[in-house]
Amino acid sequence: MPEVELVNIAKRFGKVTASADINLKVADGEYVTILGPSGCGKTTLIRMIAGLIEPSEGKVFIAGKDMTGVPIEERDIGYVFQNIALFPHLTALGNVSFGPIVKDMPEEEVKAVPQRYLEMVKLLDRMGMFPDELSGGEQQKVSLARALASGAKLLLLDEPLSALDARVRMDLRYELRRITKDLGLTVIHVTHDQEEAMTVSDRIVLMRNGRIVESNTPEALYLSPQNLFTANFIGETNLLEGVVKEVLPDRSLVELRDGTVVEAKPSKFRRGDAVVLSIRPERVHPANEGLGSVIIKITYMGTYIRITVESDSEDTMLFDVSTSEDRVYSVGDRVNLIWSKRSGILYPRPPEGVEEAIKLE
Amino acid sequence: MKRMDWVVDFISRKGFRKGWTVFIVAFFLFFVVLPTLYVVTYAFTDWSAIETAVLSNPETLSTIVDSVVISFEIAAIVTVIDFLAGLPIAWILVRKEFRGKEFLDTLIDMPLAVPTAALGFSAAVFWVMNPDPVPFSLSVISSPFLLIILLHIVFSYPYMVRSLAAILEEIDDTYEVAGRTLGASRLTAARTITLPLFRAGLATGVILCFSRSMSETGGTMIALSTMANLGIGEAANFFTGSTLIGEWRSLVETDPTYAPSLAFVSILLIALALILLIILKLVIMKFHLPLRKVWPMQEKMLSRGIFPKMKDGGALLFLALIVLIPSFFIFTYVLFSDPASLDMGALSYALGYSFLVAGVVTVIDIALGIPFALHITKHRDRASSNVLDVLVNVPLIVPTAALGYSLFLFWGSIGTGGASFVVLILAHVAFTYPLVVRNVAGAVEEIDPSFEETARTLGARPIQSFHRVLYPLIKSSILAGAIMAFTRSLGETGATQAVLGRNALTAPVYIVSLVKADELYQAGLACIILIIVSYIFMLLLRYLTKKRKEAI
Repeated sequence: MPEVELVNIAKRFGKVTASADINLKVADGEYVTILGPSGCGKTTLIRMIAGLIEPSEGKVFIAGKDMTGVPIEERDIGYVFQNIALFPHLTALGNVSFGPIVKDMPEEEVKAVPQRYLEMVKLLDRMGMFPDELSGGEQQKVSLARALASGAKLLLLDEPLSALDARVRMDLRYELRRITKDLGLTVIHVTHDQEEAMTVSDRIVLMRNGRIVESNTPEALYLSPQNLFTANFIGETNLLEGVVKEVLPDRSLVELRDGTVVEAKPSKFRRGDAVVLSIRPERVHPANEGLGSVIIKITYMGTYIRITVESDSEDTMLFDVSTSEDRVYSVGDRVNLIWSKRSGILYPRPPEGVEEAIKLE
Repeated sequence: MKRMDWVVDFISRKGFRKGWTVFIVAFFLFFVVLPTLYVVTYAFTDWSAIETAVLSNPETLSTIVDSVVISFEIAAIVTVIDFLAGLPIAWILVRKEFRGKEFLDTLIDMPLAVPTAALGFSAAVFWVMNPDPVPFSLSVISSPFLLIILLHIVFSYPYMVRSLAAILEEIDDTYEVAGRTLGASRLTAARTITLPLFRAGLATGVILCFSRSMSETGGTMIALSTMANLGIGEAANFFTGSTLIGEWRSLVETDPTYAPSLAFVSILLIALALILLIILKLVIMKFHLPLRKVWPMQEKMLSRGIFPKMKDGGALLFLALIVLIPSFFIFTYVLFSDPASLDMGALSYALGYSFLVAGVVTVIDIALGIPFALHITKHRDRASSNVLDVLVNVPLIVPTAALGYSLFLFWGSIGTGGASFVVLILAHVAFTYPLVVRNVAGAVEEIDPSFEETARTLGARPIQSFHRVLYPLIKSSILAGAIMAFTRSLGETGATQAVLGRNALTAPVYIVSLVKADELYQAGLACIILIIVSYIFMLLLRYLTKKRKEAI
């Protein structure tokens, strides 16, 4: 029921444009993450959906209704804040009961509903405690229960996990997804953490400079990003600059700066086009032949070893080897690198330069 | 530079710092607290005199009781009105963004720049029913009781708005937004979430307003004399506790039999003020606003449409009509009155004397008040600091007229009666010192101690870390405290009269004497000169501190 639609949204603060040309549909029951580096306008966007700020242009529709001029309290949303914002003068139960009380639910529901949701977040035994007696993770769970108990079917999560410890953050991610899917809620979740976005969402909307860059399932965004910025922001990648030498039905051939020719997926480029080849570190392997390079740094990561090299084509590259591998690597060694042609993706070389195109602001 | 290093070394020594702390605390106890409460000893040493002069004399006793009751009634009514009218304005100042906000912000403080003596005169000519009214005056009030309420609102209102705004600033507005996302209307969210978090600010505001109203003497006296001169004779026999002290203090010079009554009313006011302080603190901290109960439909209706506009409009109208216009009506009065010649020599002497006193007092307050504030905030864990913290409030709530009489008895008994200037300075220090301490202590408490600790780990001595790290952060609060102390000293009448009797030569006392002599035009003109000079002085002080900031 509560599908959300944003039509041509733009927001300006004085001369600063915080969002522009935003068109987005979120289906009923869908879990959508709005992902982007800090300052990309994602928080502004979710605040416009909640009604905390009004867009300068465009319209927000919730459940098919135009929300222009509708105050926050009548949008029927649950909002979870980055700074948690539990009312400090009320207990956990008092906080969760706030929604049912102000919405004038019948007396027996005011009693039952808060307890039901506190149980759902497994904090029923802590209901008498005040916010400052609870841990950060518990506080955020109470705040989730509070948003749910108000009866909202649309949940807006504004960086809900970023104030928490790494371990708590991991656990809460799965809780969030489990609970919201059990209840069949529509969720819009804002985060700057791409790993968080990958693990919880049905779909990720990637933003940069106030605009939507790309929107797709986590898997599609990772495996076949349509955009150089996406390829770099979601996961990690190596970017090699070169010129298309030949495009064949089953692969593209790219000539790097030192003349080495490497392979990538088939593409629509033509011979002589300037391109950037993106290849993820875990797809790069050492071999007896291939792109020649020199090791400049070795980092032990636990389950794998991350090796940084300077290639003969003057690109800095990363690749991973298993800690169980027999071969010993050391800084200064020469290695040759290869990859499967299916894992290399080509993008047109941006006129403003690669650095500028992947910059986080 | 070498010599500076030596000084820094010397004052960083443990022995010196210990001695300094002892000195600061001793100064506070012996020059601020003890003289303030000294009059209470009169009850033990001369109880028999009080018994014969007051307790066995029904007429005197009823005069005292009446005046004290009137003081309490007025203070209570004023405080409630201040709260109701001040809350919407505080809300607007903190939570709303609009053009002209800074202007509104300075308007609130304007009455503080006007010495209360001038305020009393100004408000009286504006309100009091007059057969021959000044153009544009309302001329509707014929009851001294109502007039004093209206007057006290003028100078206590800014304190209430400032206290409420300060605490509102501290309350994260995310709480309110969170409440609204859960379905609460604006009014419900404000009432059930923000107001309960408000108590501390409310306590400060209530105590400041209440004690300010209780202790105000000069403005009240002038307003009542003006009213009597305008033909309402009843005003001449209308006394609040503080004005009664002022009146009897001037009579005691010629008729020493008033001394026991004077001591008795002073003790009564001090005791009641202290009891009241404790009760108010307890009541406000324990008092629970009706939280569970909500009326969603009614409150929703009141949250939108015309009602919020009516509330804001009403609050602004109140600010203009009740607070600002009466404050500055004196300009209109002088403009429309027949000129008469003013003794400029006597006035400029009084002004100079007042500024000298206020200046010396402010310097002492700052030099000894800042270290004291640092001492009580840095040692929060010690019980002694908390006791000192509570004691600092005592001179703030003790009516200044009673305080002044107490100081007169204390210093007189020690035998410095002749050095009137020194005694006057000490008296003014006693009631302005807490203003500086409170402001500075409040600011220091807000600042993360890790800044100073970082400075210390980088090798700064305590005095250096104060000078380079803490001082720049709390400078605006020091300035605020200094301005409050200065204007408070400049405008004070009750304590000055109580200490020096008729010999007092400060500007407000001079204005009171003009009003009493029915030289209203001259009094008005003197008030305007006082307003202009103090306003220029405050601008200058702000300008100078700003300049210094840019230089660093």
